[in-house]
Amino acid sequence: MQHDEVIWQVIRHNHCSFMAKIETGKFCRNPYNVTGICNRSSCPLANSRYATIRDHDGVFYLYMKTIERAHMPNKLWERVKLPRNYEKALEIIDKHLMYWPKFLVHKTKQRLTKMTQMRIRMRKLALKTREKIMTTPRKEKKRESRREEKAEKAAALDKSIEKELLERLQQGVYGDIYNYPVKEYNKVLDIEEGQAVSEDEDEMEHEIEYVEGYDELEEEDDIEDFGDIAIAQSHANYDNDEEDIEPVASKRVRKETALASGKLDKGEPGAKLKKRARVLVEVEHEDADERQKAVH
Amino acid sequence: MAAARPLVTVQPLEADMATDSATTVHLPDVMKAPMRPDVVRFAHANLSKNKRQPYAVSKSAGHQTSAESWGTGRAVSRIPRVSGGGTHRAGQAAIGNMCRGGRMFAPTKIWRRWHRKVNVNLKRYAIVSAIAASAVPSLVLARGHRIESIPELPLVISDSAESVEKTSAALGVLKQIGAYSDAEKAKDSHAIRPGKGKMRNRRYINRKGPLIVYGTEGASLVKAFRNIPGVEIVNVERLNLLKLAPGGHLGRLVVWTKSAFEKLDSIYGSFEKPSEKKKGYVLPRAKMVNGDLSRIINSDEIQSVVRPIKKEVKRAPMKKNPLKNLNALLKLNPYAKTARRMALLAEAERVKSKEEKLERKRKPITKEEAAAIKAAGKSWYQTMISESDYAEFENFTKWLGVSQ
Repeated sequence: MQHDEVIWQVIRHNHCSFMAKIETGKFCRNPYNVTGICNRSSCPLANSRYATIRDHDGVFYLYMKTIERAHMPNKLWERVKLPRNYEKALEIIDKHLMYWPKFLVHKTKQRLTKMTQMRIRMRKLALKTREKIMTTPRKEKKRESRREEKAEKAAALDKSIEKELLERLQQGVYGDIYNYPVKEYNKVLDIEEGQAVSEDEDEMEHEIEYVEGYDELEEEDDIEDFGDIAIAQSHANYDNDEEDIEPVASKRVRKETALASGKLDKGEPGAKLKKRARVLVEVEHEDADERQKAVH
Repeated sequence: MAAARPLVTVQPLEADMATDSATTVHLPDVMKAPMRPDVVRFAHANLSKNKRQPYAVSKSAGHQTSAESWGTGRAVSRIPRVSGGGTHRAGQAAIGNMCRGGRMFAPTKIWRRWHRKVNVNLKRYAIVSAIAASAVPSLVLARGHRIESIPELPLVISDSAESVEKTSAALGVLKQIGAYSDAEKAKDSHAIRPGKGKMRNRRYINRKGPLIVYGTEGASLVKAFRNIPGVEIVNVERLNLLKLAPGGHLGRLVVWTKSAFEKLDSIYGSFEKPSEKKKGYVLPRAKMVNGDLSRIINSDEIQSVVRPIKKEVKRAPMKKNPLKNLNALLKLNPYAKTARRMALLAEAERVKSKEEKLERKRKPITKEEAAAIKAAGKSWYQTMISESDYAEFENFTKWLGVSQ
């Protein structure tokens, strides 16, 4: 009926739900197992007389089962509380497992030793502050980075920076140098070129300025602010349509400069920009040419 | 096996009167039957084939074309090709199992042998084994049931459970007897089946919970318990191996009602007495009455007549060649020692005498010796040239040794 050998044969060769087989060996998931290995002598199911030590909230209990209670799973395990003191606990184990097979006594004591050591270690560690390993939820991180990118694009930082710098330029935070870095300067001028051609023509007739060279190089943050100021002003002043947009390629830069400086002169109250832009300006216009031709 | 049959207490339910303290029932002999996992596995494997429904591909699949092979000479392979024209399908290969749109290799047929016959005795043996295994707590635990809170195994409950009508009351019964955690485990394990079965009307799976066995026909407990996930109900007269050992694994948690438990004896009989319900059936006997081999070996009766263990194992000595090894030779031929000694001494003698001889020859001879040798030579010469020896017949006769 209940023979350990028969039970072991059935369990081991057929199916035991507690057995966990990994490449290093066969282990037993049963919480009452003394060693943790799936073994004929350490199987709590196949040995009708068995003892273990389990811990509950840091207190160790000695659990024992005997064959007399084998048919009552409710009351199968008898529990004895073990004292904190290691030696006393060993004595209590000895007393309760006095005539039991040596293997079980030995393994129970080994288990008690190991659990005591673990308990000491855990208590010591609990006192120290430990780094807590947090998992990085991959999904959230990726989602955040994607959203960051989109927000960056949507914010159009370049434009807002330009605007901000332009305002600052207006307020006179910066000095006079406008055409460094060269590429941005050219770019802005190209943009401005189309919008402000007519205005340019209007103005240049009466504002032909010859200014000195680059004597003072003052630092400019961004030539684009210069460009933006031009844009802002052109939007402000200039309502005309773009009929006169005929890019005069060669002299664009200088036109723009003059225009811009002119505009700036106009725009600013005049505190810092009383000095003319130290830029060589060569003014040439279609009108001027035509006039000359006409003269000819 | 005990002569007195052990008693099983019947667990009372709340509805019972508290008057009879512990009703007990005798343990039926079925529970002591031999547990044969191999028989159970065989019977289970074959019995589970009996519920199958046939499947097959269509009889005409792949042949519904008038395809003919084009034969040789057209620079194409010789498999049959679809006749006709005007469509993609024309000229395509057909009918073979390697062709697209052809019939499969060995099309499945419905007359495959789906069901298996298992011998009646084998079936009964398997059921009896499974019932016996359900009475062993270790096996029930190993199968995975949660039995930590049940009071006794085999678990028998009073007959008042058979008149339970509401499922809520049924759950209450399970809680009282401690089988609720097992039913809860089954409920929690409800999950979608992995694999194609989920789109083939087998969508959900869950674990098996306790099996309730009742005795009286038409008990209302069937209706009360049948909606609880994981819990199955069966009448004791119609026990099913597929329910007693699901998956071919012994040790299902079985809850018996009292009347069912008492009927077991009459249904299965005992080891001597044949059963009443199954004509002429007697419970199978185990090959070994006491299966605990280690206990038997370590028992006094056997240890007292066993000879003591041989600690030292005698091993065969290594063979030594007598021609090379002197001691091996002496073991075979003791005279060899003296013979060899004599030979050695003789050899030494010979060597010594030869040495001396050579030494004497190599040493320059003294004048006296040289003179003596010369004189001897001369005299011999004289004897050789003297004729008198020839003339005197006496001398001659001396030489010839002739006697007259």
